Amino acid sequence: MADDMTETSATADEDIVMFVDGADPNRPTGVASSYAEGRSTRWTRETIADIHAKSQLGRYQLRGGSTFQRNLPSFDDLVFQPATMTRLPLEGYRESCDTRTVLGDGLGQVENPIELDIPIYIASMSFGALSANAKAALARGARKAGTMTCTGEGGMLPEERTENRTLVYQITPSRYLLDLEHIRQADGLEIAVGQGAKPGTGGLLLGMKVSERVAGMRTLPVGVDQRSTVRHPDFMGADDMGIKIAELREATDYRVPIFIKMGATRPYYDVAVAAKTGADVVVVDGMEGGTGASPELLLDHTGVPTLAAIPAARRALDDIGMSGKVKLVAAGGIRSGVDVAKALALGADCVMIGTASMMALGCNAPLYIEDYEALGTEPGACHHCHTGRCPVGIATQDPELSARLDVDAAAERVYRFLTAMTMEATLLAKACGKSSVHNLEPEDLRALTLEASAFTGISLIGADRPFTW
Amino acid sequence: MTTTIAPSLEVEVVAGDRPLREVNREIRSALAAGSQVTVTEPMSRHNLAVALTGAGRVRLRGSVGYYCGGLCAGPDIHVEGNAGWGVGEALASGLIRVDGNAGMSAGASMRGGTVHIRGNAGPRAGIAMKGGNLVVEGDVGYSSGFMAHAGRIIVCGDALASIGDSLWMGSVWVAGEIKSLGIDTKVVEPPVDELREIGELLAELGISATQRDWKKIVSAEGLWYFEARDAKKWLMI
Repeated sequence: MADDMTETSATADEDIVMFVDGADPNRPTGVASSYAEGRSTRWTRETIADIHAKSQLGRYQLRGGSTFQRNLPSFDDLVFQPATMTRLPLEGYRESCDTRTVLGDGLGQVENPIELDIPIYIASMSFGALSANAKAALARGARKAGTMTCTGEGGMLPEERTENRTLVYQITPSRYLLDLEHIRQADGLEIAVGQGAKPGTGGLLLGMKVSERVAGMRTLPVGVDQRSTVRHPDFMGADDMGIKIAELREATDYRVPIFIKMGATRPYYDVAVAAKTGADVVVVDGMEGGTGASPELLLDHTGVPTLAAIPAARRALDDIGMSGKVKLVAAGGIRSGVDVAKALALGADCVMIGTASMMALGCNAPLYIEDYEALGTEPGACHHCHTGRCPVGIATQDPELSARLDVDAAAERVYRFLTAMTMEATLLAKACGKSSVHNLEPEDLRALTLEASAFTGISLIGADRPFTW
Repeated sequence: MTTTIAPSLEVEVVAGDRPLREVNREIRSALAAGSQVTVTEPMSRHNLAVALTGAGRVRLRGSVGYYCGGLCAGPDIHVEGNAGWGVGEALASGLIRVDGNAGMSAGASMRGGTVHIRGNAGPRAGIAMKGGNLVVEGDVGYSSGFMAHAGRIIVCGDALASIGDSLWMGSVWVAGEIKSLGIDTKVVEPPVDELREIGELLAELGISATQRDWKKIVSAEGLWYFEARDAKKWLMI
């Protein structure tokens, strides 16, 4: 055998050793294909492009949308286990499933808790990040679906108040146009201490979107790149925030619930502290949450995925005896009624959607193709909210672009999408034997991966017990 | 203690240890009836006289806690003592006067009216303010005027570190010494017409405006835009 090999090596022709495309005599240290394909796993095309961009800009890159991080656990790592013999399913096409959702009723401090027909509402997205038409359409669609929207950072837009049945007014560190009358017109107040897309930093609105109207509402020079503060001006920690919440209760005469919205970073501890400040609702926004503009590195490298944040937040409320008293809203990358059902099963009382509702408006629709191309992108892949040149009139302050969004049609799409999401969630709930979506529970789920099981405490499929360390 | 709301021009509301909601409700009711209100035994309670509207007068006979006069639009509030954090925060219009010292964040995010501190104010005075005048007869603490969007902070005494840091269109006027300027600020020659306005304002508040060495601090506008030419400035932050 050894002799045979020796003989073969000695007599092998170079043509036999080489592949068809052979070594290039001009590149004597390697075969041509390795040069041509450039498949370094470290110096990818994206990495090289990022270095080229930063070496020209002299700063980090900014963009809108949400994370491009590839290693996140997903709601797709969980599957429902509908009822069969040990549990009784409900008739999916006949029997009813309650979707009514109440926020702010748990502590007994609020005269008018918020009552929603569905367990989904539209997230806080500012006028500034979005056009006035987009804000109005979201509000109208939400009202028709029996749910609500939230103002976001830029103050209360009259169009949004008029179109909404229920509107939550956001109080951010920047305090843009913080007005007592607006506080009293609101159906809830949300103190923002962070957001999932870029936790640990304040809002960011690039100059292209700081129009005269936006600048007027925010008391800013027209056209500046607005960077908001991250810390609130008049409180620092949880004890001070508790006093601030008491002030807001006085300002609203104890009529409306008070929310705290945070980016998910240490959800167990942060939610426990938030609950102790006296808030009625805690909103936990996972790192898949979207934004109008952010340093790219924050989108991709900060925060806790929504999947992992929800169980931690629920565990916190359980451990301090506040489940049922303080309501938990989950947000961050929710795409469908399936995600909604999974979030509720993991422990959320309600779900908030932002990016998905923009897509229902028409974000990324295959219209005005040349304008996508001018941004260097295409329908279905656009995340250029930061440029203010939104081809479909949603994430822009340009009057001509804004006018492209038909408010009636967009509102109807939002309504239909919210309805479809609710149907998806109830179909799953009924299959699991639940007469209310709020009865969905961790036992209804199984994890497809070890990681998802470890992150959530959901039983690993097949093993029927959670992965433990 | 009981509280008397009589159909007179002067109404006394006792704070003491009574529920805050009752105290503030009585203040609001009395103001709505056109009365002037004296709050006795404020006991440094938090959130006294918040969210008041209209032009009524409220006098608090002692020191108050956090957020006194917060979220107000229109009233004339007089604190006969010291005030805790956030006195006059988000004031839209009216006058809030503190005879003693104020804690952190006096006049934070105020949009109009005047907050007048006769003593010293703590750090972050006038932070994120959007308009109006914050007048401090004594000194102000660090980072006062941080990211002030508009309005004037007028400091008759000294300013501690990082005064006016990251200003937008607001301005900080300091008569005494400035320990250090904040990032992206510059001191400019005070315009004559503004000097006159400030003199008139101080005179209205009963403050002598004579012969003060005013330094006006405004934004240097170097951090208003994300542009490559500002890269070194960004790195300094």
